[in-house]
Amino acid sequence: MQFRDAELLSAYLDGQLDAGEVARIEARLAVDAGLRKLLDDLRVPRGLMRRVRRRRAPRNFTLNPLDFRVAAPQPRAVPVLRYAGVLASLLFFLTVGINALTPLAVSSIAAAPAPGFGMGGGGGGAAEVTPEAGLDQTMAAPESSAPALQQPAAPTPEAFAKTAPPAEPARAGRSAPIPPLWIIALAAAGALLVGVSVYLDRRSRRQFHSNLIEK
Amino acid sequence: MDESALITDAQRGDLDAFNTLVLHYQDALFNTARRILGDEEMAADATQEAFISAFRSLKSFRGGSFKAWLMRTITNAAYDELRRRKRRPTTALEPDGEDGDGLDEPRWLADPSLSPEESAEAAELEHAMEHCLEGLPFEFRTVVVMADIEGLDYTEVALAARVPLGTVKSRIARARLRLRDCLQGFEELLPAMFRLQHEPGS
Repeated sequence: MQFRDAELLSAYLDGQLDAGEVARIEARLAVDAGLRKLLDDLRVPRGLMRRVRRRRAPRNFTLNPLDFRVAAPQPRAVPVLRYAGVLASLLFFLTVGINALTPLAVSSIAAAPAPGFGMGGGGGGAAEVTPEAGLDQTMAAPESSAPALQQPAAPTPEAFAKTAPPAEPARAGRSAPIPPLWIIALAAAGALLVGVSVYLDRRSRRQFHSNLIEK
Repeated sequence: MDESALITDAQRGDLDAFNTLVLHYQDALFNTARRILGDEEMAADATQEAFISAFRSLKSFRGGSFKAWLMRTITNAAYDELRRRKRRPTTALEPDGEDGDGLDEPRWLADPSLSPEESAEAAELEHAMEHCLEGLPFEFRTVVVMADIEGLDYTEVALAARVPLGTVKSRIARARLRLRDCLQGFEELLPAMFRLQHEPGS
């Protein structure tokens, strides 16, 4: 007898062979008395094991919540609401940040060409002036510095035209890239979602603990 | 019982849902532990440990046969109990009767639905099977108990024992061959067992 036969016969008894294996083993069983004996030998312990009476558990093994200190079950919506609230809050801070930083960036860009032009205006402090002030200076320059025409870079209407473009971004910088209404909506949504999740969580805990006390 | 809903609720921390599952499976786990350990008290301890461990690690259950998953926890708990027993050997596994002759006293196995003769026979069979099972290596004992006593199929046994399907087949066959050899020593004690040999194939 090979152990492989015992393995096959054991699985055959348990109905764990596929149709092909069943057909092959049954064909062999039909002609092999030794194999039939082995099948009977395996059937005895298997049958006995299955005849052994199962007993009822001597006691209940349920877990006691007070001993076990389990956490109150959380409503399914709570984690979703919490994550959504956190996301809304992050977006809120992001939009506030963008709105706060954008005018500065634009104004610094707008202010950058002023020193180059201010050379003609005689103003060394062009970097400190606002774009509007720079523009005013530019416009005023032809008159105020006209007598001192030693400088070749006297502003002309063409030069003025060259300096004009910075004025537009400066104006754009003053209006926020993200409308304030959106920011307010995000803040409100974040607060609402977090508030609802906290409320649901607390309500669930209260119910859970009152049930424990009742028990 | 909607098992999957109870499992989902239990995974969220609902102990009532988990306790419903405990009530459903406690007999299976206790019987498995008792057959593996051969001792009722240790089996009860292992069963309790298994359910506590199951509740704590319930989030790791990813579907499939919940019974097989629980069987894995009871196998682990039983193995821990066995190791503990090796470190601190205990007294006799069978309960003693008042006259100290525990095995001859079938009171602890009493089943009112059986006649005295049947009860005696059942007690003898119980004793013989326990003796033979205890002689098996732990890994053979667990697979044969799960397959033959708890009725798990080979896939579930493989999942519970964390071994490949081929290993399950091999272990069950080896366990049955060893049990057969062991049971031959109980021929006079257990005549009913040998009647099985002459029964038509089940």
